[in-house]
Amino acid sequence: MSVILVLLLPLIATALVCLPFKKSWAAGVTVVFSLATLILSARVAWLVSAGNVVTTDLSVGWLKWIAVDGLSALILLLIAFVATTAAIFSVGYMAHGNLKPGKLRLYYINYNLFVFSMLAIPVLAEPTLVWIVVELTTLCSALLVSFENTREALEAAWKYVVLSLMGAGMALFGFLVLFAAMQASGSNYAYTWNNLITAAPSMPPVLLQTAFLLILIGLGTKVGLVPMHTWLPDAHSQAPSPVCALLSGIETSAILYVILRLFPVLHASPNSHAETWALVLGLISVGTAAFLLLQVRDYKRLFAFSTVEHMGIILAAVGLGASIAGYSAMQQIVSHCVTKSFCFFAAGATLMTVGTREIAAVRGLIRKSPIVGAALVFGGLAITGAPPFAVFLSEFSILKAGLTQKEYVATALLAIFIVIAFFGIMLHINRMVFGARENGTVAESPNDHSEPENKFHLPFSCRLALILAAIPVLVLGFYIPQPLHDLLTQAAAALTK
Amino acid sequence: MFRHILFNLIQVLVVMAFAPLASGVTSRLKEMIQSKRGPSIFQPYRDLWKLFHKDEIVSEDSSWIFRFTPYIVFVTPIFVALLIPVLTNYPLFFAFMGDMIGGGFILALGGFFATLAAIDTANPYGPVGASRTRMVGFLAEPVFMIVFFTVSFVAGSTIPYIVQEKWVTPMANFFMPSHVLLMLAFLMLILAEGGRIPVDNPTGHFELAMIDESKSLEYSGRGFALMKWGGQMKFFVLMCIFLNVLVTPWGLAGDQILSAVLLAIPLVLFKIFCFLLVLVVIESSLSKLRLFRISEFLGAAFITSVAAMITQVFLP
Amino acid sequence: MSDTTNQLLDNLNALATGLFLLTAFGIVAMRQARGVLNLFILQSLLLAASAALLGFRHHSEHLYGVALVNLISKPIIVPWLLRKTASAEIYTRREVDQVLNIPTALLIALGLAILSYFLGQPLLNAVAPEFRGPNVPIGIAGLLIGAFTLSVRREALPLLIGLLVMENGAFLAGISISRNLPLLVELAIATDGLIIVFISGVLIRAVQKHVGTTAVGELSNLKEATVEPVEKEGTK
Repeated sequence: MSVILVLLLPLIATALVCLPFKKSWAAGVTVVFSLATLILSARVAWLVSAGNVVTTDLSVGWLKWIAVDGLSALILLLIAFVATTAAIFSVGYMAHGNLKPGKLRLYYINYNLFVFSMLAIPVLAEPTLVWIVVELTTLCSALLVSFENTREALEAAWKYVVLSLMGAGMALFGFLVLFAAMQASGSNYAYTWNNLITAAPSMPPVLLQTAFLLILIGLGTKVGLVPMHTWLPDAHSQAPSPVCALLSGIETSAILYVILRLFPVLHASPNSHAETWALVLGLISVGTAAFLLLQVRDYKRLFAFSTVEHMGIILAAVGLGASIAGYSAMQQIVSHCVTKSFCFFAAGATLMTVGTREIAAVRGLIRKSPIVGAALVFGGLAITGAPPFAVFLSEFSILKAGLTQKEYVATALLAIFIVIAFFGIMLHINRMVFGARENGTVAESPNDHSEPENKFHLPFSCRLALILAAIPVLVLGFYIPQPLHDLLTQAAAALTK
Repeated sequence: MFRHILFNLIQVLVVMAFAPLASGVTSRLKEMIQSKRGPSIFQPYRDLWKLFHKDEIVSEDSSWIFRFTPYIVFVTPIFVALLIPVLTNYPLFFAFMGDMIGGGFILALGGFFATLAAIDTANPYGPVGASRTRMVGFLAEPVFMIVFFTVSFVAGSTIPYIVQEKWVTPMANFFMPSHVLLMLAFLMLILAEGGRIPVDNPTGHFELAMIDESKSLEYSGRGFALMKWGGQMKFFVLMCIFLNVLVTPWGLAGDQILSAVLLAIPLVLFKIFCFLLVLVVIESSLSKLRLFRISEFLGAAFITSVAAMITQVFLP
Repeated sequence: MSDTTNQLLDNLNALATGLFLLTAFGIVAMRQARGVLNLFILQSLLLAASAALLGFRHHSEHLYGVALVNLISKPIIVPWLLRKTASAEIYTRREVDQVLNIPTALLIALGLAILSYFLGQPLLNAVAPEFRGPNVPIGIAGLLIGAFTLSVRREALPLLIGLLVMENGAFLAGISISRNLPLLVELAIATDGLIIVFISGVLIRAVQKHVGTTAVGELSNLKEATVEPVEKEGTK
């Protein structure tokens, strides 16, 4: 029952937001409902971490396809968490923009619809329904990406839509081939993830592998794997910052979840090279992203490339062997999610403070607003894997798992790329936060406060969101609470069934 | 055997006799669609009679090619008429002397000489039209080839009589995708080779825009009559190939008696009339393409024919 | 059913798929935006026809439902939605100078069609005989040609139609090998197509309003190598 409520709450929020009350109504409704969703998702995750699989006992229409196991519950929880923090951040961020009430309402309507579509991804067990919801996430977020209606935002939104839908078209064919494989295996089960694993040994291998490749490449476009990543830096930097947090933090991971669901299926079939593919593709993504982010000019693009890098790390971790590195991959998903959303909140706060996205135009941020400067440094260190933050622990355990598997080359490459990314990101952020003000900088933006003594005050909600998002980043760097540990174990088990 | 030779002769006479009629009917229909009255359908016969009784003027600077070409242009369609099914659906005496590719080459021979003759005089418009005709010709070649290849995939032979049987036994074969697509491709080919809209305007008088018509610009009297008649026969023969070989062999005589063959004449003429109706509608609704867009038109024909070939290979 | 009717139905289905392939070629090559839309409508009708014929051949009422859904959503609702959401100017556009000239684009599309035949063969060999037919190779061809259209066209409407052609192609392949998908799923996929058109229409209208052009494929400001600083007041 909780699961249905989790799905219904964003829809109700969308409907309520449409009511033309004053400005804070839409924001308030969204925050309250996201909080409620978070609590319910936590409850579902609690149930699942004890080892159950939560389903509804109804068999009406598509409700019978709802089944939440370990992996699903983890993603569900993360989506709800980021949705809540981003909603809190939106309050201050959107108010800063001085928008008309109608446009603001449009933002929150799209926001809630987007959250709904993301929440539906992990709970549905029928692959084609999952495909439909994946397309819905693209469509609901397209208008969010183009929200500011500048030329660049519209271009980013158009590229996002076209490339994602192209990938989704290929993935549709992949899912249909998968269904055909299931039929050809002679079993008469319903088409769900679990039944796929059961039927896998008797499926014709060529169908299964073709489907896997098609889905990997098709949905990999949405995840941001190289070479299909070209839309990602644009879309994830042009969107409003809370939306960026949602997109980078959890949406790419949610789509990666769909791809990860196929690994146990391929594992059950003889002669599959799924893990090799994953490792190679993951390493290519990490490497390309690490080199590309050295030359960015826009700090939100910096974080977007970092997303590509982390998606590659997760995929490479799964490729190293789900039984050994599965737990680490799950840990990496969690740490990346909380850290990346924090980074984008920091970037959003920076944008509010200085008014420009260009790295070259921002210097000495720490003097202008200590909170924002500190947050940016904190975020940069955290996302690049410096101790004592969460990402450090998860990356370390992935590297350790790689060494255990005797994949020395892959592990070495992974380590090198991570170090390159560390240098790249910290170079830019260091200059931005601590750098001395050069005289006659190239781009003086209109919102810039010309006297450095005039400090910018971040809205309360933004500060609250930053703090809320920072807590897991710090805590998970030292200690993983037992319930979370159980959940992660369950998730890893679902990966290796 | 004697009977077969007789039927072959009757076939040739039919082609010779009714080709101008087809041309007359086409012009009349086109005018009627434009709400005009149009010339009589027997006008081409009167034109030919008039031309045969006029003097012929030949340029001093032209060579034997110029004098020889009208005869070649007149005779090549007759040769092709010996090879293809015009009235009967069983092979006649000369049927195995050449298949469709051979027929295509013979028609090309006529076109080749006509092109040379156009260049032969010193008239500047001749070579212009001749080079354009060659361009259309070489762009249409791949389409011809692919059509014939596909046909041989399907029927196992390129002899027209064997091919035509394949489309109706059994009846379901009529709807094979390769069949329909081949019909489309060959229709576009006829439009190109016959110099109809959208490739060329057969009634145009503007020499700079002429493609096919410019070949006979310099001729007069008997030479002109032979060129005209030869052109009409070529178009008639192409129509016969299209209708009797590629579309359906309906209306053709099945028995080997004279009355059946004579009965086939009006039936075949009726089929040709229906085709002319379609042709006139196409001509009246499209406009002439710009010269370099013709390559796109023939590219589309090429794609259609290759699609026909692909679907033939895909069918299990 | 008798053998001859079966063969007739098979041939008619093959004809529908053959013409489907032809319309895909046309969509790559056609200059006028309105012509591309008309070809897409024709293609959806052929898809519905193929679904209906396969349904009749294999006694599956489920496929009739698919045919009906396709018949209503794509030829009727898609143009209507486009008219409501996108600006009217996209219908009047023609691509005068193209990225690739038309004969070359057609040849590449042809190459893709032949490639899809080779890609489809192993798949067909792995399924049971009654699922085999021309649908899968031509569906894969539709997918690839749709993706190719997306890369060579620059006007908004042909780009959108290229996306929808990809879905049509995937669907065409799907109706022959995954016949028993629940009807709900097929309905949802069709609705999805409509939502795509809606959102794309809104985006195109926004681009037309703020950037002033319908050649959305030509927008390319966001790169690392831009020398001039990105202007923040870029709205018109």
